[in-house]
Amino acid sequence: MNDLASAVGNAVASVDDPEYPGISIADLGLVCDVRVDNAGSVEVDLVPTFVGCPALELIRTDVSRAVGAVAGVGKVDVRFVDRPVWTPERITSAGRAALAREFTVSVPSPGRISGRCPRCGADTEELSAFGPSPCRAIHRCPTCGEPVEVVRR
Amino acid sequence: MRSWSGMADFEAFLEEGGMVEPGDAMPEEYRRAVFRFIELHANSELMGALTERDWIPMAPGVRRKQILMAKTQDELGHAHLLYMVAADMGVKSRDQMLEDLFSGRSRFHNVFHYQAVTYADQVAIAYLVDAGALINQQAVFKNCSYGPYKRILRRIVAEEGFHMRHGEEMVLRFAEGSPTQKAMFQEALDRWWWPTVHMFGPPSKPDDLLLRWHIKSDTNEVLRDRFVQKFVPLVQGYGFTVPDPDLRYDHEQRRWEIGEIDWEPLQATFDNLGPDSGRRIETALAAWNQSAWVREGLDQVAALHAATGDRAA
Repeated sequence: MNDLASAVGNAVASVDDPEYPGISIADLGLVCDVRVDNAGSVEVDLVPTFVGCPALELIRTDVSRAVGAVAGVGKVDVRFVDRPVWTPERITSAGRAALAREFTVSVPSPGRISGRCPRCGADTEELSAFGPSPCRAIHRCPTCGEPVEVVRR
Repeated sequence: MRSWSGMADFEAFLEEGGMVEPGDAMPEEYRRAVFRFIELHANSELMGALTERDWIPMAPGVRRKQILMAKTQDELGHAHLLYMVAADMGVKSRDQMLEDLFSGRSRFHNVFHYQAVTYADQVAIAYLVDAGALINQQAVFKNCSYGPYKRILRRIVAEEGFHMRHGEEMVLRFAEGSPTQKAMFQEALDRWWWPTVHMFGPPSKPDDLLLRWHIKSDTNEVLRDRFVQKFVPLVQGYGFTVPDPDLRYDHEQRRWEIGEIDWEPLQATFDNLGPDSGRRIETALAAWNQSAWVREGLDQVAALHAATGDRAA
C-alpha cells in the first residue's frame, strides 16, 4: 500500500508544467494532496496558480495519464481546489533555481512584487503588471537591462 | 563590454558559439540584421494577437474563448518583450517601430496578410501556422547568437508548444465532426496550406548572412521540409486532403514531395499588398488609437509616483 502511494506520488511529481518543460508541477507548488485508497482509487488535489489559467485542463489530462500508468491504480480523479490559495512561496527552491536559469523568470521574495534579475541579481522594476500569461508580469533589470518576467502573486 | 578587431574576428567568435550581449561593440551590420529580424518577429506577434482577439467573441464555448484570450495575452506579452529587446539595440525606438508598422512601412509575417473567414480558419491557423512558427523559432533558438533574444525565445518556444497542443485538440474535434464540420475545416485547410508553406521564407540566398551570423540555424528549405514531412501525414491521418494536386510520396526516398511553389502571393505580402494587408494594418492602428487613454492614464500614475517618490516595491 505504501509502495503504491509513493509510486503515485512520484507519478504526480513527474508531470511537467505545460509552459515550463523540465519544471514539474510539484516544484511549482501546484500539488496539494494525493490520496490513495485500498482499492487503488486515487484523488489528486491541485492548486491552480490562477483560476483563469488556460493550462489547467492540460495539466489535469497529464496528471491523470501519469497516475493512470502506475500499476495497481484504478480510478483517478484530479481536482483543482480553491483552498489553499497559491502564492509564489509555494515554489520550491529547486523550482526557483530552474525558472531563473532556464527561463529567466524570477520569483519574488515574500511580500514583494519585484524579483531579482537572474542575470545579475539586481532588483527588477515592473514595466507591465501583465506579461504573456496571467501568472507573470514584465519587469526590467535596471542594472543590466535584461527583460525579466516575474511571477505574480 | 567586449569588442572585436573586425568582422573576421567577430565571425570566428560566433563560430565558436559565442553569445553577443547588448553592451558589446558588435559590428553595425550584425546589429542591424539582428534588429530587423527581431522587429519582424515582434510585429508578427502583435498582428497575430489582434487576429486572435477578433475571434474571441465568436469562438464556440467558454473554454475555447479562454484559450483564445490566453493566446492573445501570450502574443501581446511576447510582442512587448521583443519590442523591448529590439529597441535596446539602438536602431529604432519602440514608438518608431510601431509607427512604421501602422503606416505599412515595415513587414510582418505573410500568414497575417490573409483573412480568417470562419472559425475553422482560426483552428487551421492554430494547427498549421503555430506549428510552422514553432519550427522556425526552435531553429532560431538552437543557434541564436544574440543573448537577450535567445533567452526570450526559450519561453516563447515553450509557450508555442502549448498552443500547438490546443490546435491538435481542436483539429481532432473537426475530424470527428459532422460532414458539414469536416467540409468547413477542409475549406479552411485549402486557404491556409500554401501560406503556411510560404511561411518558411523564399528560396534561400547563396550566402545568407542570418545563417552566417548564427541568427538562423537552418535554411528556409530545410525548415519547410521539416514541416511538410511532419504535416502531410498528420493532415491525411485526420482524413483531410492536402490541397496540392502534385503532392506525391517518393517510396525510394521515403519522403513527401510537394508541387511547385508559386512565390507571387508571398512577394505580395512582403510589399504589404496581400489580400487582407490593408485591413489588418488599419485594424492594428485603430486598436492602438483606441487604447491611447490607457497609456495616458498609466503615464499620469507614473508621473504622480515620481512626484511623491512613491514606487512599487
